[in-house]
Amino acid sequence: MKALKTLIEECRSGKAEYQALIDRVPYARFLGIQVVAQGDELTFVLPKHDNVIGNPTLPALHGGAVAGFMEQAAIIFILLQMGEPKVPKTIDFTIDYLRAGLFRDTYAQCSVTRLGRRIANVHISAWQKNRQEPITIARAHFLLSDDTSPEITG
Amino acid sequence: MTEKTLPYTPKDLCNRFLESVRHSAVLGLEVVSATKDSVRLRMPWREDLVGNPETGVVHGGAIFAMMDQAGGMAITCRNFPTFEITPTIDFRVDHLRSPGKGKAVVCEAICYRLTNHVAFVSVTTWEEGGDDEPVATGLATYTRLQINKAGAMVGQ
Repeated sequence: MKALKTLIEECRSGKAEYQALIDRVPYARFLGIQVVAQGDELTFVLPKHDNVIGNPTLPALHGGAVAGFMEQAAIIFILLQMGEPKVPKTIDFTIDYLRAGLFRDTYAQCSVTRLGRRIANVHISAWQKNRQEPITIARAHFLLSDDTSPEITG
Repeated sequence: MTEKTLPYTPKDLCNRFLESVRHSAVLGLEVVSATKDSVRLRMPWREDLVGNPETGVVHGGAIFAMMDQAGGMAITCRNFPTFEITPTIDFRVDHLRSPGKGKAVVCEAICYRLTNHVAFVSVTTWEEGGDDEPVATGLATYTRLQINKAGAMVGQ
């Protein structure tokens, strides 16, 4: 497998597709996550398929699948912004469900509220029909580095 | 109608859920126990649920999905045998430490408060066999939608 840092550099310079970054992650392939880049703007896609259904009668997406999709979108999004890319660890993930997730494609965009040396705060919004009507919004913190250099402990 | 006269238990009901909820079935979730007080689910480690290919640790999203599923089931079991639809309002999960590669995880969900419209749930997840140190904790609220005699959802 290509080194993560090399792959990220290639994605940034346009030599590799962002999708290659997602496809490294088994769980992202399990969910079928895709990414669409328009310039520097990334939109993540959770295509509708049977494996992400929660309520079979409506049918509706499983809230857990939508949450996992959003968490993974945020992880890829931060990786692309890190100088020394290392898969960030999720510290906490908080999601608000605003509307039913219908059986259709779901989109997500992320924004980094704060990228510190050790911790990142990311906001994620997911929608189906239009971006102004999110089905879920989420906020997450990620640990970027396990290093405990003396200047930042305590 | 009392519980004793029913041909099925809360655990049967949870198992039936897992069969019909496709995403939970493909995650490989299993019901360990289900009573009025709590529900325990188990998720075996699987290669395709890994979040970090370098460590083999299962993705936080898969753990989240298990905890969310268990939370909904805990409300169902507390209400047993009355059946309600309980969409999640919000859910926060804290990842306290990483479960080991190859290790199944088990979670316990407790519905600790039920009001007319809202259910409050807490969920704790452990690595299987390591019951004293949780890998994740979660707090959630769900809204209660009763189903009336016509089969329509009421509430919210």
